[in-house]
Amino acid sequence: MDLRLNEDQEMFKKVAADFVQAEAPTTMLTQQFLKKETFLPDLYTKIAGLGWLGMLVPEQYGGAGLSYLDCGVVFEELGRAPVPGPVFSSGVLAAQIVRDGGSDAQKQELLPAICGGEAIVIPAIGDHGAHWGPETVATTCSQSGDTLTLQGTKRHVYDAEGATAFLCAARGGDGGVSVVLVDRNAPGVTVTPHNGYMVSVSEVSFDGVEVPAASVIGETGAGWDLLDRAAEKAIPLLCAYKVGACQEIYEFTVEYTNERRAFGQLIGRFQRVQDHCVELSIHMDRARMATYETLWELDEGLPAEAGIHESKAAASEGYHQACSYSHMVHAGPGTDYLHPLMVHSVLAHTLYQYLGTPDYHKRRMVDALYPSA
Amino acid sequence: MDFNLQEDSPEMTEFRKEVRAWMEENMKGSEHLRWSASWSTRENEEEYNFRRGLGEKLGKKGWLFPMFPEEYGGAGLTVDHQFVLETELARYSLNLTHIFYTLARIISPVLLHWGTEDQKREFLPPIARGEIVVWQVLTEPQSGSDVANCQTRAIRDGDDYIVTGQKVMVGHHLPPDVLWTLVCTDPDGKRHENLSWLHIPANLPGVTIQHMHLMMGIKNAVFFDGVRVPAKYLVGGENNGWKVAHTHLELEHGGDGRVGTDPVVDRVVEYCRNHEVGGKPLIDDPHVRDTIADMILEINTVNRMNRRIFWHRFVKEPHAYGGAQFRYYQRMVRLRNGERLQKIMGADALIPDHNVHEVLDFEYVIRSGPGQLHGGGTLDTDRLIFARRAGIGRATKEKAPDTV
Repeated sequence: MDLRLNEDQEMFKKVAADFVQAEAPTTMLTQQFLKKETFLPDLYTKIAGLGWLGMLVPEQYGGAGLSYLDCGVVFEELGRAPVPGPVFSSGVLAAQIVRDGGSDAQKQELLPAICGGEAIVIPAIGDHGAHWGPETVATTCSQSGDTLTLQGTKRHVYDAEGATAFLCAARGGDGGVSVVLVDRNAPGVTVTPHNGYMVSVSEVSFDGVEVPAASVIGETGAGWDLLDRAAEKAIPLLCAYKVGACQEIYEFTVEYTNERRAFGQLIGRFQRVQDHCVELSIHMDRARMATYETLWELDEGLPAEAGIHESKAAASEGYHQACSYSHMVHAGPGTDYLHPLMVHSVLAHTLYQYLGTPDYHKRRMVDALYPSA
Repeated sequence: MDFNLQEDSPEMTEFRKEVRAWMEENMKGSEHLRWSASWSTRENEEEYNFRRGLGEKLGKKGWLFPMFPEEYGGAGLTVDHQFVLETELARYSLNLTHIFYTLARIISPVLLHWGTEDQKREFLPPIARGEIVVWQVLTEPQSGSDVANCQTRAIRDGDDYIVTGQKVMVGHHLPPDVLWTLVCTDPDGKRHENLSWLHIPANLPGVTIQHMHLMMGIKNAVFFDGVRVPAKYLVGGENNGWKVAHTHLELEHGGDGRVGTDPVVDRVVEYCRNHEVGGKPLIDDPHVRDTIADMILEINTVNRMNRRIFWHRFVKEPHAYGGAQFRYYQRMVRLRNGERLQKIMGADALIPDHNVHEVLDFEYVIRSGPGQLHGGGTLDTDRLIFARRAGIGRATKEKAPDTV
């Protein structure tokens, strides 16, 4: 047992932390989140330049071929900002779907472009609600000769705005789900950003969009398994991102208890306020410990299914709760959209159900440990 | 990072083999006597005698406190050895210092830190070798969490202290050999500067022990009626007791850590597989599965916190707030789990099952739930300590004391 980062990881952490401070300072992010402009092309190009897109992707496909723990350290720092943009959705999740399902030609074509940032490939999976599961896929896909026609609307697509292409989950005539690569500029594709208590989420419709039949990634009709397996491999890095966010919230919350005075003393002297910090720390550490242990399991090739789903539940719930407890400590000032807490609060709500709610993942965890009859 | 609990560096592989073989040999025929508990509400002689015997055998090899120097009853080994021993014992759901009902796990490191050379040589070997049972005796009728409000007096008289006072809610159902206690040596002195630690042999004239029947089981009232304790048994210097308490309380307050795990979930699942409602096993009921999910998430967190503290302790970088955070959370989890057990199995959960060890018994988990919230200080003291260690409302963060 050893809870220390190795030398390389310490270096990754420092580089990422310095980058965040220089390129994505809070003052800038609060403005961007307020304007709901969270896809920042220049920032994304710089991130690509650092090799942080496709960190898990093997070098032969233009990636860095790093370990899960190495990547986790970087994602944790990105989450502290929190750096917005499709670093996870394209650079990790879409890349994993292509790696797991793509033909050699598709991998050669897509992966180097994803890693280089020229291609931003965004999974567009569920049609309605924001849950995870094959039952959420309603968009249809009909074949005529060498052409597939897609029809349907994906209600909540995360990071759609910067997309150059989508990985659209669609049902064929036999009811099976396939994953279809669709160009963002194909006629019939419309991206409409949502304007609710969320960021970086758009409705994406595919209205009679025609693509070549060769655009299917993986086996026709076996797309759900592909998506589910790829999501399992990607999720722990999203968790690391949320862990970083929790860490940042914890630190600025503790700092605030040492600055703000009320009733003639620092608010941190009040035991009720201290209690909020205790709960915040538990949510942060619970997410952190589950996530890092899972990253390690994946690196070691150990069974990680239960840990993946546990981490997702703990990290989504943890990020949400960390914000709530921080709001209790910050009161009024924390509700200003120009306060960093609001950036996190909006993002925590956005990511809560992304790729499945905490309850859904808790069930998956139990299923992995104690399969139902 | 490495979360492995079973794989070792090459030099430890041999040691693990040795320990595993030794444990197999010594557990033979007694595999049913698994599980550690610092104390028990059940008087099962077979279990107690076995565990006491195992404790003595481990102690003889210096394995109860493997990192202690040999002259104090340890084996002079490294943290890696400690880790191997803990993980091998954990295979039998045992852990080194809870093998039998003694609080050696807390007392010994404090003695090692604060004792004089003579005290270490006299007191430590029998404790570290598992030959005697020590109780910590701190709570008084008027000072629970506020332990510094200690009223038990120890007044110097020649080469002795004369101890008078009362402690409550301490120990367990079996008699102790030594009482490890806080006393007031300067009744007119300032708070925190008037206390001392005394190592009191339990058989001294004037010591009376009476059982108390509490929701968690049997604990005791201890009366000191003019007990003459040799002055050389005062540990850490006169009126310096509060400093000694810092080391002691860090261990009491979760700073020791463990690698073992709470076994309750597996038993819940077993119950749910074997019990049906409407022709379907309970384990297939989605509500039951959700309740089990919550238990798993929380218990896994408790286990991970505990392992993290253990690691930080033995690499000598004590985790600042880990102990307090763990203790608060663990006790709340246990309380919540009590209710969850009733949610799943209703009144069945309220009937003791004497075929399983107490730590596995649903009735005990439920009954002890509210009682275990305050042992060693209330939840509120845990959260106070957390705030000091995490630097909440204070410019400087209080450091965790060394406890190895």
